[in-house]
Amino acid sequence: MFTIYHWIFLAGFAICLISCLVQFFKVILSGLPKDFSHPLGKTLPAIFYSFTGAMSPTKKETAYLHLPTYTAGIIFHIGTFWGLFYLIVLFFNIQLPEWLGYSSTVLLIISAICGLSILIKRRIVSKLRNLSNPDDYISNILVTGFQILLAVTILNNQILTVLLIYSTVLFLYLPIGKLRHTIYFFTSRIHLGFFYGWRGVWPIRKHNT
Amino acid sequence: MRAKLSDKHQKALNFFDSKLNGKFITHLNSCVHCGLCGESCHYYLATKDERFMPARKVDLVASIYRRYHTFAGRFLPKLVGARDLNDETIEEMVDVLFGACTMCGRCSVHCSIGVDVPFLVRTARSMLVEMDLVPKGLQSTVDAAINTGNNMGIPRNEFVDTLEWLEEDLQMEVEDDNAEIPRDQKGKKIMYTLNPREPKFFPLSISAMAKIYYAAKESWTISTNTYDVTNYSYYSGDNEGARELTDRLCKEMKNLDAETLVLAECGHGSRAIRWEGPNWVEKEYPFKVITVIEVIADYIRSGRIKLDPSKNTQLITLHDPCNLVRAGGIIEEQRFILKNAVENFIEMTPNRENNYCCGGGGGQLAMSEYNERRVESGRIKADQIRATGAKIVATPCHNCIDQLMGLNSDYKLGVEIMTIGEIVANALILGVE
Repeated sequence: MFTIYHWIFLAGFAICLISCLVQFFKVILSGLPKDFSHPLGKTLPAIFYSFTGAMSPTKKETAYLHLPTYTAGIIFHIGTFWGLFYLIVLFFNIQLPEWLGYSSTVLLIISAICGLSILIKRRIVSKLRNLSNPDDYISNILVTGFQILLAVTILNNQILTVLLIYSTVLFLYLPIGKLRHTIYFFTSRIHLGFFYGWRGVWPIRKHNT
Repeated sequence: MRAKLSDKHQKALNFFDSKLNGKFITHLNSCVHCGLCGESCHYYLATKDERFMPARKVDLVASIYRRYHTFAGRFLPKLVGARDLNDETIEEMVDVLFGACTMCGRCSVHCSIGVDVPFLVRTARSMLVEMDLVPKGLQSTVDAAINTGNNMGIPRNEFVDTLEWLEEDLQMEVEDDNAEIPRDQKGKKIMYTLNPREPKFFPLSISAMAKIYYAAKESWTISTNTYDVTNYSYYSGDNEGARELTDRLCKEMKNLDAETLVLAECGHGSRAIRWEGPNWVEKEYPFKVITVIEVIADYIRSGRIKLDPSKNTQLITLHDPCNLVRAGGIIEEQRFILKNAVENFIEMTPNRENNYCCGGGGGQLAMSEYNERRVESGRIKADQIRATGAKIVATPCHNCIDQLMGLNSDYKLGVEIMTIGEIVANALILGVE
């Protein structure tokens, strides 16, 4: 049975979704830039490569030079998306096997630790601290807090209301702060893939000379 | 409260707003401040100056967007790091976006998200053009090209004289009185461009290419009016100037009725003419455009020229010009050429699209106010070269050659810097049918 908190949550989610979709379609509908030059490569395989090979730790310097941070970031994001899935489960009171609940709790705690470590790194490493603004901290804290609260809620459903209110705040903040990279990550990889594909740089060719 | 903008700042902001298409909005909103890009930038690596981290450069541009185009930036600017477009912000933009970025794009390839940093930097430079804030040296290079037809201001008669004596030298070298450096001849297959540094400082690179064309029995010509392959407006951000220079080349191609425009060994020139030019003139070229590297590789593959690698015995390494390789897709051709033209070749690490910028791009060589920084940022390249143990560094870019020659002297590398054409000309076997 839906309570007032369920409806508040739904309203917050709807505002977030509409705002994100507006931002996403604003970018998508403007299309890829018209390029009058003669292409040297193919853009579709390059866009695919942009989301796959180019992101791999074997190719991406920011990954292989910073493997602990990269790994923590990946786990943090997996935890977030799994958390969003589990939030739906709890919201609709869907019954899942008990082992899945315990596994999710473990995943969310590990993920939250990763989020926390990234937050601490941002605070103590001078170059990151000076690059950051309050939004960077708030965004991390909101998501890390969401994961912790969700992990606790999985074990104790009594605090579902608190989770719903917290999640509403998270959803309302998402389109206005850094978390909106959820939208722009995808368009960014598409544009980069298009650029390097058109010019024949991506996908990386086998060295055959 | 937002401060009222001066007319100058308002004009710049209007320009910024006019560029807000899907691509620009995407890259302005994408950076997550992970800060991992620092180690991909030769400026940050060499100086450890946090202001030079790519993410800081992106933030400078994105902070303007946030201030004037986002909800949080309008009402809570400190929360999201939104900044007013004021003198302080602009001063920082000029210093960092002109003086500490070569727009090499290495950070973008490795960015966690995929932010196109050079695109943002160049768009911001274009905004600075609106306020006449292009550093003096860079602006005067653009002005020279617009006003005299080449960025070094070489008078036409002086250029023609140079080509004439180079032609005499060529005739002696190949022992053929009919060998020529064709000038302003109509209906040739190729119109070949030059970097004005060649007639001014490095005429032997013109001789080298003339010898290669001679050996390949190519149908080619040089325009004595419009031959400059460079386009420093690409670096300054001056779109109108860039369009004008591109348009002149198009007109000269039509005037000489040439089939193919061949771009000399120049990284940014290749990028500007081949990739950006059609977008500045807003139409597809009615002729083919290729780099001279592709031309030489094709001569070797098709057997139009024969090479003897034993004429180049010293250990050679290759520097990848960012605009030709990472932003131009010419990655393997120069390697194919070298492997046919030299006995001992060694790659530097990293290489190809991951190679570091030498520090000479982005218009840095024209901006004397940032000389010290340019040389310091080149330390990464110097270390790469030293690690190879090579005696010769080859690179298909005259801008890179200038910077590498400087690094050679500043970091006492003890190497020789050569163009690909010079190496190939050295290995040419003449008189082979």
